[in-house]
Amino acid sequence: MAPPLSHDEFFSSLTTLLSKTTEQAHGSVYLTQKPMPSSESTSSPSILIRASDGNTNAPNPKSANQTGKIAKNRSSKVKFSTVVKPEDLEAFYTRYAEICKTGMSGLKKRDRKRKTKAKGGASKATKA
Amino acid sequence: MPVLPTSQAFLEQSALLLQAYPETTRITTKYHYPTERRAEKHKRQRSQAKKPSETESTPSTPIAAFVLKTYNPSTGICLKYQTNKLQEVGRLVTGLGKLAAGADVASLGLSGAGPVDVEMVDVNEDGTQANVNANATATANAGAKSKGKKKGGKGKR
Repeated sequence: MAPPLSHDEFFSSLTTLLSKTTEQAHGSVYLTQKPMPSSESTSSPSILIRASDGNTNAPNPKSANQTGKIAKNRSSKVKFSTVVKPEDLEAFYTRYAEICKTGMSGLKKRDRKRKTKAKGGASKATKA
Repeated sequence: MPVLPTSQAFLEQSALLLQAYPETTRITTKYHYPTERRAEKHKRQRSQAKKPSETESTPSTPIAAFVLKTYNPSTGICLKYQTNKLQEVGRLVTGLGKLAAGADVASLGLSGAGPVDVEMVDVNEDGTQANVNANATATANAGAKSKGKKKGGKGKR
C-alpha cells in the first residue's frame, strides 16, 4: 500500500479520477472511510480515506493461459488514500463534498421544470 | 442487507452502528455507471435517435448511481442507500463527515431537518414522515407538561 497522500494531492487525484469516470460514462469510483487503526486512545481517532477505481491487478482466472495478452489491455488499478486528523475533519469534508458534487455530474440534475410549476401554483393560490 | 428508504434514515442508522462499533465499522461510497448489455445500449441509442428534439435535454450517456454502504465486518451488519440525484450528494457527504467526527443520532436529526426535498416527502408520506410528526408532537407535549423545560431541540422546528 502506497503511503497516504496529503489532502491537496488526494483531492487533485480524486478530481481526475471522477472526471475520467464521468467522461467515459463507464466504471466506478469507490471511496471508503474508516477510523485509522491505532493502539492509542480511541476517543477521536484519525479517519483513513481510501479511493479506488474498483479494478484489480490480479490476473483473470478464466484466461489463465493467456494472461500476458489480457494484462496488457487492462489498465492497472488506481488507488490512493489520505489520513484526516480529527481537528481537520470539518474543513476536509466541506472540500470533499464540493469535489464530489462537481465530479459526479453523471447523476441526475435537479428537475427545474417541476419547481417553476410549483411556484406558479403557489402564486395562484395566494391570489385566490 | 437492508436498503434504507431515505438518506436521513441511512445516516441515523449508520450513526447507531458507528456508536456500537466505532473501531471496525467502515462507510463506502460508490459512484458508478451501471454496466449496459449490448441490447440495452442499442435500445437506448435507437430511442434517442427516434426523438431528435429531445436529444438536447436528455443526456446521451446513461445515468450514474451513487451508493452508500455502512458495513461492520465483525457482526456482518450492512446498511445501504442508493440515489441518482446530484442534489443529494453534497448533503450526504457532509453527513458522512459528521459521522466520521462521531456525531450521534440527535445532532444528525437536527441538522437534517432543514432542507428536505419535496420529492422525498412525497415518497415517504405514508411511513417515515408520519413518524417524524408523531415524534415532534410527542416532544412538544412533553415540553408543555414540564412547563417548557425542554426548550430547544426538536421543539424548535
